[in-house]
Amino acid sequence: MRASASIAQSFRRPGLGWVATLLGSAVLVFICLFPFLWMGLSSIKQLNELYTIPPQWWPDHPTLANYYKVLFESRIPRYFLNSIVISVGSTGLALILAVFAANGFARFRFRGQSFWQACILVGQLLPTAAIIVPLFITLKVLGLVNTYWGLILVYMIITLPLSVWMLTSYFRAIPRELDEAAVIDGASRVGILFRIILPLSLPGIAAVLVYSFITTWNEFIFALCFATDSSVKTLPIGLAEFSTEFNTDWGAVMAASMVMTVPIALLFLVFQKFFVGGLTAGATKG
Amino acid sequence: MKSNAGLAFVLPALIVLFMLVAYPVTYTGWLSVTNDQGQFTGLQNFADVLRPRVTMQALWNTLWWVIGSVFFQVLLGVAAALLLNQNFVGRALVRSVTLIPWVIPSIVAATTWAWMFHTEFGIINYMLTSAGALDEPVGWLTRSSTVMPAMIGINVWKLFPFVAIMVLAALQSIPQELYEAARIDGANYWDEVRHITLPQIRPVIMAVTLLLVIWALNAITIIYAVTRGGPANRTLITPIQIFRLAFENVEFNQAAALSVMFFATVMLIVLVYIKTFADQPGES
Amino acid sequence: MKSLKLVCFFALSVLSSVATTTIARAGDVVWWAPNWGEERARTLAQKFMAANPGTTVKIEITVSNGLPERVLTALRSGTGPDIIEVQHGWVNGYAQSGLILPLDDTIQDKQDYVPAAIDYVGWNGKLWAIPYRIETHGIIYNKDHFREAGLDPGKPPKTWDELTTAAKALTKNGRYGFGITGGGEVGNTLFRSLPFIWMNGGDIITADMTKAVVNSPEAVKAVEFYTNFYKQGLSPKSTLENDGLALRRLFIAGTVSAYQSGQFDLPAIQKENPNVKLGAMTIPAPAGKQTAAVLGGWSYVVPKSAKNPEEARKFLQFLNTTENQGYYTDTFPARMSSIKLPRFDDPMLKPFAEMLPYGRPVPVHKNWVKIVQAYFDGIQRILLGDQTAKESMDQANEEIQALLK
Repeated sequence: MRASASIAQSFRRPGLGWVATLLGSAVLVFICLFPFLWMGLSSIKQLNELYTIPPQWWPDHPTLANYYKVLFESRIPRYFLNSIVISVGSTGLALILAVFAANGFARFRFRGQSFWQACILVGQLLPTAAIIVPLFITLKVLGLVNTYWGLILVYMIITLPLSVWMLTSYFRAIPRELDEAAVIDGASRVGILFRIILPLSLPGIAAVLVYSFITTWNEFIFALCFATDSSVKTLPIGLAEFSTEFNTDWGAVMAASMVMTVPIALLFLVFQKFFVGGLTAGATKG
Repeated sequence: MKSNAGLAFVLPALIVLFMLVAYPVTYTGWLSVTNDQGQFTGLQNFADVLRPRVTMQALWNTLWWVIGSVFFQVLLGVAAALLLNQNFVGRALVRSVTLIPWVIPSIVAATTWAWMFHTEFGIINYMLTSAGALDEPVGWLTRSSTVMPAMIGINVWKLFPFVAIMVLAALQSIPQELYEAARIDGANYWDEVRHITLPQIRPVIMAVTLLLVIWALNAITIIYAVTRGGPANRTLITPIQIFRLAFENVEFNQAAALSVMFFATVMLIVLVYIKTFADQPGES
Repeated sequence: MKSLKLVCFFALSVLSSVATTTIARAGDVVWWAPNWGEERARTLAQKFMAANPGTTVKIEITVSNGLPERVLTALRSGTGPDIIEVQHGWVNGYAQSGLILPLDDTIQDKQDYVPAAIDYVGWNGKLWAIPYRIETHGIIYNKDHFREAGLDPGKPPKTWDELTTAAKALTKNGRYGFGITGGGEVGNTLFRSLPFIWMNGGDIITADMTKAVVNSPEAVKAVEFYTNFYKQGLSPKSTLENDGLALRRLFIAGTVSAYQSGQFDLPAIQKENPNVKLGAMTIPAPAGKQTAAVLGGWSYVVPKSAKNPEEARKFLQFLNTTENQGYYTDTFPARMSSIKLPRFDDPMLKPFAEMLPYGRPVPVHKNWVKIVQAYFDGIQRILLGDQTAKESMDQANEEIQALLK
C-alpha cells in the first residue's frame, strides 16, 4: 500500500482547490448541524426557557438536569442496550444473507433474474399499515412477541432488501478480470467472493452496515407494537415515554435524542478507515 | 458461470424474505377483496377508495413530493460526496457531521423542524427578520405555497446524507489508474468529474435513486408528525391516506385495497427500472 | 471481516439466551395503563392484590404516541391484554368491529354515572366500556392582560358578542386576545368549534344520523364566529399549525390572552410560568342560549381475546368504586358521587365543573372519524382563505352526506 500511495502522490491529482473545499465544508456542516445545534441547546434548557417568544439561542440558566433525568431516572439505559442488541443482530444477519445474494445477482446470469431482484425489494414496498397486523399474528404464532429475536426477524424486512440491492451494485463495480485471474489460479466461486470481492467492496459493505444499523436504531412502529415491556423496548419508544397526555418533557426528549444520536456519529468517526477505497490498495498492479 | 450457481447464492435471502412477507402479502390481498364481515366483495373496496376527491389530490401531492424530494436528495448528496472525497484536514470530522441528519430519529427531526418553522416560536423566522431578510414572519407551515416545499426541505435534509455516504463508498472504489491516465492527458478537476467520476458512480446513483423513490413513496413520519397531511390536505400523500384509512377510520379493507394498488404500481416501476438498467456494465 | 462476524454471532447467542419473554400466568390480569397515571395505577394494583391474593395484576405502561394504532393492532391480532384504557371516542369503533366484550354485568351503580358518559360508550343496546374519567373545555385567561385592557378579570364575558369585544380589546402590542386552533390532530379543533355549533342550535349530522346539516344557517354562523377570530387578527398568525399544546405555550409566553382548554393545562401553566395570574371561565354562548361542550375522557375496555376476563371484571369493579375512581382520574371522575371528594374542591376547577352538565358525547356513527375529517378540512379551507364559511360548509356537507349512507 505504501508504494502505491507514494506513486499516487507523485501524480498529484487536481482537487477542488482549498477555497472551494473550505466553503463547501462550511456550508455542509452548517446545514447538517443547525437543527442539531438547536436540539443540543434545547437539551440544556429548563422548561420555562424552551418556548420563549422571541426564541432564544443560549439559555440564561443552562442545566444538566435533563441529562440526569435521562441517564439515571429513566429506562433509557436499558433501552439503549436493547436497541444495540436488536440493531446489531438485524444488521449482521441481513449482511450475511445479503453478501451471498448480491454475489448471485452481480456475478451470474440466470433465468428470472430481474424478477427475483424485484421480489427482494418487495419488503420495502409494503406500507406499514398493511403488514403490521399479519406480522403480529406471525410473531404470536412463533411465540416471539416481546423478544429480541422477534424484532430482529421483523427488521429483516427492512434491512435485507436494501442490503442486497446496494451490495449488488457495489459488487458489479468490481472488474471481472480480477475474478478471471483468480479462477485461473484455481479459486472456487465462494473463494472469489471471500478473497476478492469482499475485501474490495469494503466501503460498500460499510455503507450498507451503516444504513441497516441506523434504520433499525430509529424504527418506531414495529417496536411499539411488538415489544411490550422494558426488557425489549427500544430507544424510540423511550423517547415517546417522555410524552404524557398533555405534556411533553421536551428538555428530556432533546437530551435523550442527543444520547441516541451522538454515539452513532462517534462510532462512524472511529470506523472511518473502512471507507477508504479497496481498489487503491494496489490490487490491480501487475 | 452456471445458471444454477447464481440461484443458489440468492436463495437464502429469498427464503427468509418469503417467510416473513408471504403471509402479510396474502393477508392484505385477501382483505382488499372482502368486507369487514369477511364476505367476498370483489372490487368494491377499490371503487370505494378511488371515489373521494381526496384520493386524486393525494396522488398528485405524492408526485410532487417524490420528484421534489428525490431530485434534491440526489443533487445535494452527490455534491456532498464529491466534497467529502477530497483530501483535507478534518475530513473525518466533516464526514461524521454529515451523517447526523440521517441518524437523528425521524420523529425528533420532524418535531424539531416544525418548531424551527413555527411562525411565532420559530428560530428561522426570528433569524431572518432580525437579519432584515424578511419584513414579517412567514407562515411556512400555514401557507399553501410554502408548506409542501417546507416538507420536501425536511425530507431532503434528512436523507441526503444517505446518498452522500452511498456515493462516497462508490467514489472510493474508483481505480486510481483512471485518474492517473487522465492527469497525464492534462485534465483538470471538472474534466475528471465529468468523464471519470460520474460515469463510474452511475450504477450506484441509479440504485440509490430507486431506493429514494421507494422511500419517498412510503414516507409517513415527517409529514404526519408536522402537518398530519394538512392544511386542508395540501400535504396529504397516498401512504398517509392508507395509514389514516387503516388506523384512524378503522377501514382495514379499504386500506388494503389502496395498499394493493400502491404496491402494484411501485412493483411495476421497479420491474421496468431493473429491466432497463439490468445490463449496465459496472466496470469501466 | 470474519472475526467481526464471529463476534456478532457470539454476542447474539449470548444475548438471546438472556432475552426474556413476558409470560402471563393463568391468574394474571394484564392492564395497559398510560404513563401519566403510572404511579396511581401501581398503587391501586397493590391494594387490589393485597385484598385478593390469588390474582396478580401486571401493568404494562403505554404512551400516547401511536396508542390508537397499537391498541387496534393488538385487538385485531388477538394479542391484547385484559384491560385497556382508551378514549371514549374509540370505544364504538372497537364494539362495531367485534373486538371487545360488553360490560353491562360488570358496571356497578350505573345510575351514579354521568348519563352522557354512559351514552358515549353504549351501542346497539349494550354497554361496551366503563367510563372513569370525563372532562370538558372551559376558557383559560390571563387576569393581568384583562386588567391592562381595561376589562374586569372577575367578570369574564358571558356571550359571544362580549367575547369578541373582549378579544378585540386584548389584541394589541403583539398579543392576541383569543387563540383558536387550526392544526394538529383533528380533535383539537373539533372540541373547540363544535360546541359553538351546538350552542347555536346546529349540528354536524342530525340526531338520527341520516342527514348532514353542517351547512345549516345556525351551523355556518357558528363556524364563522369561530374562524373569525383568526380572520380578524384576534388569533395568532400561526393558528393553522397550532394545536391545543401550542396554544398553551403561546399563552405561557404571554402572546395569547385567552384560549379554550381543559383543566389539565392549569398545572402545566403554573409550573412553567408561575407569574401568570390564571383565570378560568365557562364558554360563552349566544345571547339567550345555553353553553355546550364536547365531553372528553377515558374508559376501560376488555378485549374479546382477553385471557382472564373474569378476574379482569372483578378488578374493574374495584377500580371503579367511588373512592378509587376519584383517586385515579386526572380530571373529573365519571361518577357523580366521586366528584364530591375533597380533591375536586379547588376553586380554579369550578368553571370546569360547571361546564360538565353541558357536556355532550359525539355521535357514534361508524364513519364518524371520516365525517370529522371532512369537517376539519372545511375549517382549514376557511382559515386558508380558499373559501367562505358557507362555501366550505356546503362542500363539507356534501362529503359528509356521502358518508352517511
